[in-house]
Amino acid sequence: MTARTLNCRELIEFLAAYLDDELAPGERAAFELHLSVCPYCVDYLATYRKTIHLGKQAFAAEAEILEEVPAALVGAVLAARSRS
Amino acid sequence: MDRDDHEPERKQQDEKSLLLRLRAGDEAAFAELVRANAGRLLAVARRMLRSEDDARDALQDAFLQAFRGIDRFEGGARLSTWLHRIVINACLMKLRTRRRKPEGSIDELLPRFYADGHRIDPGPPWKSDLPDPVESREARTLVRESIDRLPEIYRSVLLLRDIEELSTEETAQLLDIKADTVKVRLHRARQALRALLDPHFTGEAA
Repeated sequence: MTARTLNCRELIEFLAAYLDDELAPGERAAFELHLSVCPYCVDYLATYRKTIHLGKQAFAAEAEILEEVPAALVGAVLAARSRS
Repeated sequence: MDRDDHEPERKQQDEKSLLLRLRAGDEAAFAELVRANAGRLLAVARRMLRSEDDARDALQDAFLQAFRGIDRFEGGARLSTWLHRIVINACLMKLRTRRRKPEGSIDELLPRFYADGHRIDPGPPWKSDLPDPVESREARTLVRESIDRLPEIYRSVLLLRDIEELSTEETAQLLDIKADTVKVRLHRARQALRALLDPHFTGEAA
């Protein structure tokens, strides 16, 4: 069976579903066929993935810094509980 | 090694006993819950709200809501996961009540195509040695400010799905939109963020 062909617009529409592994086998084959001949879409996929990674990384350091709990904040929450 | 093997079980036991004490109204247990979770949850609220005062308010609201609702907590999830969802909800409530600036269109940040489906002006690839936002404050600021430039309906979905790592369904439920809408908005948000970062990473930024 020959996979149908996709153009760049369709490939980009399917990108998120491709990364979530939600494409049907025929769609996935068409997606990968297009990637095998289109360096621009290979590049778009790479930078789309990199964007997701950069977003996660931009907040990763912050989570570590906040292992220390501000004591005043804990006090304020508990005081609010006793008032409520 | 043995100690690590038993760590998850021990945590589960600790959580069970903490939950029993919380349900019994034990004051020390509430303090323990807050101390164990406040730092991590404040980080969540800061990410969502970008204002220290609002983040602290939302965190306080969330804990009060959690204390009141502790009897409704179903043992199936982890307490920390449950609290995470409550904080996100408190942040979303705050975002809804904020005076909104008019939301710009995201269209100009999405790729454009010729009638035959080819992309117009794909541009050069990104450099291979991109800065790491964990290490570089400058890169961290660039990525965060770019996320903040997204219209709120896209920014919220991107934060909940990619940063807080909630599922499509959980995100849909919290935002009161359909799962398919979450998927469309997430894809557009990532594409727009990519476009905002693009000039900085192709080596063409001023």
